[in-house]
Amino acid sequence: MSTMQPILTIDNLHAGIEGREILKGISLTVNPGEIHAIMGPNGSGKSTLASVLAGREDYEVSGGSVTFMGKDLLDMAPEERAGEGMFLAFQYPVEIPGVSTANFLKTSVNAVRKYRGQEPLEAAAFLSLMREKMKLVEMDQSFLSRSLNEGFSGGEKKRNEVFQMAMLEPTLSVLDETDSGLDIDALRIVASGVNALRSPSNATIVITHYQRLLDYIVPDFVHVLVNGRIAMSGGKELALELEAKGYDWVKNTEPAEA
Amino acid sequence: MSLERFNEQIRSAFATLEQRVNGSANGPLHGSRRAAMDAFSKQGIPTIRHEEWKYTNVLPLLAADLKPSTEPAGDSIDASAIGVLPNVDAWRLVLVNGFLQPTMSVLPTGPEITIAPITDELLAANGRVSALFGTITPANAHPFVAVNTALTQHAMLIHVHGVLDKPLHVVCVGDARHGDVLHTPRVFVLADPMARATIVESHHTIGDHQSLDVTVVELSAEAQSALRYIKIVNDVDHASHIGSMAAIVARDARATCATIVTGGRLVRNDLAVRLTEPGAEGYLYGVSVLDGTSVADNHTVVDHIAPHCHSEELYKGVYDGKSVGVFNGKIFVREDAQKTTAYQSNHALLLSDAAQINAKPQLEIWADDVKCSHGATTGQLDDDALFYLRARGVSEAEARTLLTHAFAAEVLDHLDDDAVRDHLVALVDEALA
Repeated sequence: MSTMQPILTIDNLHAGIEGREILKGISLTVNPGEIHAIMGPNGSGKSTLASVLAGREDYEVSGGSVTFMGKDLLDMAPEERAGEGMFLAFQYPVEIPGVSTANFLKTSVNAVRKYRGQEPLEAAAFLSLMREKMKLVEMDQSFLSRSLNEGFSGGEKKRNEVFQMAMLEPTLSVLDETDSGLDIDALRIVASGVNALRSPSNATIVITHYQRLLDYIVPDFVHVLVNGRIAMSGGKELALELEAKGYDWVKNTEPAEA
Repeated sequence: MSLERFNEQIRSAFATLEQRVNGSANGPLHGSRRAAMDAFSKQGIPTIRHEEWKYTNVLPLLAADLKPSTEPAGDSIDASAIGVLPNVDAWRLVLVNGFLQPTMSVLPTGPEITIAPITDELLAANGRVSALFGTITPANAHPFVAVNTALTQHAMLIHVHGVLDKPLHVVCVGDARHGDVLHTPRVFVLADPMARATIVESHHTIGDHQSLDVTVVELSAEAQSALRYIKIVNDVDHASHIGSMAAIVARDARATCATIVTGGRLVRNDLAVRLTEPGAEGYLYGVSVLDGTSVADNHTVVDHIAPHCHSEELYKGVYDGKSVGVFNGKIFVREDAQKTTAYQSNHALLLSDAAQINAKPQLEIWADDVKCSHGATTGQLDDDALFYLRARGVSEAEARTLLTHAFAAEVLDHLDDDAVRDHLVALVDEALA
């Protein structure tokens, strides 16, 4: 093992919703600089994992632990997780009428800065930061005055997620099916934004159903989630193998590994 | 005080006023007062058995010894005690206990507008006002319109001939320093063809006694005119307001009526917008932000009489504490009103278990080629939106505040006047804080 502290350590995590167990013992370690892809068929628990990491209250954790930057993640409220450097890019970003994108971001960025003991950004500094980060995802400035995600296309919503990620500079980004509903151009823009934000000190978990996104965001590790467990792990070539052979191949080999 | 006592006070005030009319006892104004007094005697004060007053009980208000004001307040009033529109450059028409206060008013003097008390002489000289005054809100159809019509002394004409350069603020002050007071402000707005104006009406009470203002506003938007009328009730807990407003909107004219309620014991707003000629447009907006035991009752009527008219109605309410909201929205589409488009929506946010909203949309459509819709929601803040904000680092409390503000302020986005809108946003924010 390397001597550096892992960003995220998931140890034998069990979680579910309304009494139904969906995650049945997940273990995963994410180190600085790494990109992990979590793939899996529908219903395998991918989005549940994202929701549990972000702190959605509908989900109950029934066992195991999650350590984020040396702290117990499961003990924290969602906003504390964000303050500590966790970022979830939503599969379905929520539309919030009446709250402009700019006002929302200012509230969000300053809340996170406050958590980290930093002064709030002044208006001018904030505006220039927004302009700079919008370029990453080729967003037009007119988005800033529009209500958050309201009337945005699927691609615009996902670009807006990556824009927010750029503004908040998280230590760990979890991209939950960020590729769903994107055409190839939007996919390319979103992926190049994510790649531009990579650094040796942060890490990314890409949750996806399809291999396609991983052509653009190249993972160091690929994990295949089946029925609430990681059934198989490997390098980026595993994604290609999955694409060729389908998830049934993993399902069929799973008992041999269990 | 009882209902009998209240009725007696009304009769006695009317008698006092009648003694004073001297030579004009046979004039049209006093004739309509006398008819209104009869209409009030016939109708009486409505109880909750009355369908239109089912959720709004006015009887507890009458426990105070409300004395109708029959003359202007004798002593001066500290202008700073009265809310103006901060940061809004506006003309000001001040009515204290329903009487014009010239020294506190700042009235426009240009040719684009005439502001004057309505007298028999004025009615004789102005045929249009004479034909319409008292007909847009008929006294025999509403007991409190009858009270207002019987008792009001300084009905004010606001006659807009051209384009008014800045908003006109009608400040209605109740002087409750010396006892419980009933006052009856009355305004008649006539917008000539092509005229444009923004009018803001607000209600204020000074003094510690109970006050009830029974206000009547009539509007006539003549062809191609555009009237924006914004009513603000942000009064103290011992002040109540019962307001009746009706507008008739002529060919290709537009009336925009907004009603903002952020304070007061009981606030009843009756608003009727009648689209009488093709191309008329009516826009009705409402925001109520209540706490404590406040009651805000919005009764609206949109009446599509002519074809090719358009109406939009959006009301929102945020209710905390034990506050009560009422929304009753009627839309009539008459048989001749083909090609009508009429949309209504009303949304309520309940912030406490004890708060309540009673909402009743009513559509009556007799024409067959129309587009009408209505929608109503009642509930709490959206959990998904709350989680989204929290996942971005915003605390739960701050996320709730942000979403609640956004919910209410969305209505105000529909008002074009930036300075007035900013004032209203600040008012709503303050009420939510």
